[in-house]
Amino acid sequence: MTRPRPIAAIAALLMIASLPLMTTPAGGQQLSDRAKQIGHKFMCMCGCNQVLTECNHVGCSISASMLKELNQSLANGGTEESITQAFLQEFGTKVYAEPPKSGFSLVAWSLPTIYLVIGTLLVIFVISRWRKRPATESVSGARTGASHVSPELLERARAQAARDTED
Amino acid sequence: MDVFGSFALLLAFVCALYAFVGGIAAIVTRHPLLVKSTRQAGMATCGLIFIATFSLEYLLFTDNFSVAYVVSHSNRDLSTFYKIAALWSGMEGSLLFWSFLLAVYVFSVLIAYRNKNGELMPYVGMVMAGVQLFFLTLNNFVESPFRALASGGMLVAARDGNGLNPLLQYPEMVIHPPNLYSGYTGFTIPFAFALGALLARYPGEKWIHLTRKWTMIAWMFQSLGILLGAHWAYAVLGWGGYWGWDPVENASLLPWLTGTAFLHSVMMQEKRGMMKVWNVWLVFCTFLLCILGTFLTRSGVVSSVHAFAQSNIGTWFVGFIGVVLLVCLGAYLKNQDYLRSENQLDSLISRESSFLFNNLILLVLCLAVLSGTLFPVFSEWISGDRISVGAPFFNKVDIPAGLLLLFLTGVGPLLAWRKTSTESLKRNFGWPLAIGVVAGAIFFASGFREFYSVICVILCFFVAATITLEFYRGAKVIHARSGASFAACAIDLTMRNTRRYGGYIVHIGMVFVFIGLAGAAFNRDVQKDMQIGQSMQIGPYTLVLQTTDTKPEKNYTAQRMVVEVLRGNKPTMMLFPEKRRFAGNNQENGTMVAIYSTLKEDLYVVFAGQNPETNLPVIHAFLNPLVKWIWFGGVVVVFGTLIALLPNRRAVLALAGAPQPQPVVQPLPHALTPSVTLREGHD
Repeated sequence: MTRPRPIAAIAALLMIASLPLMTTPAGGQQLSDRAKQIGHKFMCMCGCNQVLTECNHVGCSISASMLKELNQSLANGGTEESITQAFLQEFGTKVYAEPPKSGFSLVAWSLPTIYLVIGTLLVIFVISRWRKRPATESVSGARTGASHVSPELLERARAQAARDTED
Repeated sequence: MDVFGSFALLLAFVCALYAFVGGIAAIVTRHPLLVKSTRQAGMATCGLIFIATFSLEYLLFTDNFSVAYVVSHSNRDLSTFYKIAALWSGMEGSLLFWSFLLAVYVFSVLIAYRNKNGELMPYVGMVMAGVQLFFLTLNNFVESPFRALASGGMLVAARDGNGLNPLLQYPEMVIHPPNLYSGYTGFTIPFAFALGALLARYPGEKWIHLTRKWTMIAWMFQSLGILLGAHWAYAVLGWGGYWGWDPVENASLLPWLTGTAFLHSVMMQEKRGMMKVWNVWLVFCTFLLCILGTFLTRSGVVSSVHAFAQSNIGTWFVGFIGVVLLVCLGAYLKNQDYLRSENQLDSLISRESSFLFNNLILLVLCLAVLSGTLFPVFSEWISGDRISVGAPFFNKVDIPAGLLLLFLTGVGPLLAWRKTSTESLKRNFGWPLAIGVVAGAIFFASGFREFYSVICVILCFFVAATITLEFYRGAKVIHARSGASFAACAIDLTMRNTRRYGGYIVHIGMVFVFIGLAGAAFNRDVQKDMQIGQSMQIGPYTLVLQTTDTKPEKNYTAQRMVVEVLRGNKPTMMLFPEKRRFAGNNQENGTMVAIYSTLKEDLYVVFAGQNPETNLPVIHAFLNPLVKWIWFGGVVVVFGTLIALLPNRRAVLALAGAPQPQPVVQPLPHALTPSVTLREGHD
C-alpha cells in the first residue's frame, strides 16, 4: 500500500481551504454595451460609493445582484425607464449616480454655476476697485526732479524692482 | 508598555495645555521666562508624543494582545512591514499618528526659529499648541490607542488578533497615509504663522517668507499622498480606475486645491503687497478643510470604501472647526486694517489678473467638490431623501474647470507683472498655440475624438510649449554669455531661481498628469468566464488562461490565475491576477490586480471571482491608455517642488548698490515704481 505523499495532502488541503475563495461571487456579470451604459447611471448600493458598473470591491454581493437584475431586465425587453423605476422603488433616490435634473436635486447642478458667477463678479469687483484706487502719492515728485527723491525711497524702489524681477 | 505610552500621552496633554495657556499669558505679559518655558513645554509635548507613538509600535511589533487596538488591527502572522502600517489603520492609531506627524512639524519649527522672530514666535507657538491640544484631547479621552482589552469587567489577553484590513495590506498603504497625513498636518504650520502674524500685527510679508517652504512641503506631501492613494485604488480595488470621486478622495483634494491657490496668490502679496486678506483666509480655509477632511473620513457622515475607521467622533471635529472659525473671524475683524492692500492693478492683461482667475477657478473647483460631497447629507436633512452624487456629476462639473485651469497654467508665465503689451502677447503665444493646435489635430486624426480629451491634449502641448520656451529663452541668455551647452545652461538657470523654474517643473508634471487623465475617455474592458486554455481579446492583446494555482503565504492564501499575454501571436508576458484570503480572526478577502504597464497603455487584469452559475473563473481585463503618465507626472511634481525648495545659487538680477529686499510697509510713490513693464514675457 502506498503512503499518501505529504505534498499532495497539503495541496489537497489548500484546495479545500481556497474553496470559499473560488466561490466568491464574481464582482460583475458579462454586460452588453447597453447594460454598461445604463449601469453607469446607478450607484452600487453596498455603501462603497462607487458607480454600479465600476464596483468590484471584494465580497460585494450587492453589485453582482444589481447587475444581474439589470441584465435580466434588458433581456426581458425592459427599457431604461422601467429599470430606473425598479431600482428607484427598491433603493430610493440614492441609487442615482448623479442627481436627477429635477426638484431639489437641481440645487446640486446649480451650485457650481452659482459659485462661478459669484466668483467672477467678485473678481471683477476687486479688479475695478484696484484699478480705481488712486496712487497714494502724487507724481509731483517725478515732475520736480530726482533731487526730491529721498535715499530711503530710492532704496525701497530698488528693493521693489529687485522683488519684481526675482521670480 | 501600554501604561508607559498612555502616561506619555497624558503628560503630553499637560505640556500642551501649559504651552497653550502659558503661551497666552506670555503674549499678554511678555515675560521672557514665560516665553521660554512655553516654548520648552511645546518641545516636551512633541517628545512625549514621539514616545507614545513608539510605544504603540512596540506593542504592535511584540504582538501584545492585551491591548484592544493591537487585537483589532494586527495578528501574529502579519509581516513587520504591515505592522508599521497597523499604526494608522484604525481610528485610535491614526489619530495618534496625526499627533505624531504634527509633533514632527511643531518640533522642527520650534527648533528652526528658537532664536529668531521673537515677536512672532510666541503667537505661532500658542496656535500650534492649541491644535496639538485638540488632538491630544482625542488621544487621551476619546479614542485612546492604549485601551486594555477587557471582557466582563476583567482585563484579558487574546491569543491572536483580527489582523489588518486586507485592503491595507499593500506596499503603498505603508507610504500613502503618511504622505497624506503629512500634507494635512503640515498645513497647520502656515495656519499658525498666518493667525499668529494677524494676532501680532506682525509687520511686512515676513510671515509669508517664513511659511513658504512649510506650505510647499505640506503641499508636496499632499500631492504625493493623493497620487499614491489613486495608485493604491487602481492597483488594489480592481475596478479599473484610479479616481472615483469618493468622499474621502474628495476630502484630500479640497485642501490641496486651496493650498495650490495660496501658493500662487501669495506671490501677489510678496511682490505687490496685494491680496493680503485673501491669502490669510486661504490659509485659514486650507487648515479648516484639512480638519474637515479628517472629520469626513472619521465620522462616517458620508459613506466611503476608504473610510476605514468610523465612530461618533464627528462632534469633536465639528466643535473644533467651529472654534477655529470663530477665532479666525475674530482675529480678522479685530486686525483687518493690518491687511490693507498696498498697490493697484495696472492692467487687466497682467500676471496679477491671471493669478486672480487661477484662484477663482481653484476655489470654484474646491466649492463644487465640497458641495457635491456634502450634498447627499444635506439632501437627506432637507428633503428626507438621500441623493447620491457620484463620479458622473463630478466629471461633468470639474473637467471643464480643470481644463480652464490648465489653460491658465500656460497663460500665466507668459504674462508680465503689472502689464503685458499686445506685441508681447503675440510673440509669446504664437508658437505654443500653434504647437497645441497641431498636436490636437494629430490626436483627432488618429481617431481619438472625445471632445474634452482633444481639448486637453491641445492645452497640454500649449502649456508644455510655453514652459519649454521659458527655459529656452533663459538658457539662451546664459549660453550667449558662458558658451556652455544648453542643458547645462538650463540647469544653471533653474538653480539661479529655483522657485520660479521649480514651479515650472511642477507645471510640466501637472501636464503629464493631465495627459494621463485625457486617456481615461478611451478605456475599454472585457469580462469573460474562462476555462483553462481559453483566450479573450482586448485591443491588440490576447489573454490565454494557462492555469490556476494556490499560493500559500505567511499571512494569506492566494488563488492565482496564470494568464499569458500575447501580442500579435507573440508571447509578451505572464500576468498573475489573484484573490487572497487573509489570516486573522476575520478571514477577509483581498484582490491583487496584474498590470502590464507601458507609456501608451495599461493592460489591467483582474481575477473577478468565480461565476456561481458556470463554476468558471471570471477574468476582467481593461485596456487603459496613458495611465502611466499620471504616476510619472506625480514624480515630476515632487521633483519640481523639491527644486523649488532649494535656495537660489545666486541672485538673478544684481542692481548696483541695491540692498537686500526689505519688507515694504507703505506703497511706493507712483513715480518711483518702475515705469517700464517688468518681466515682459520672461526675465
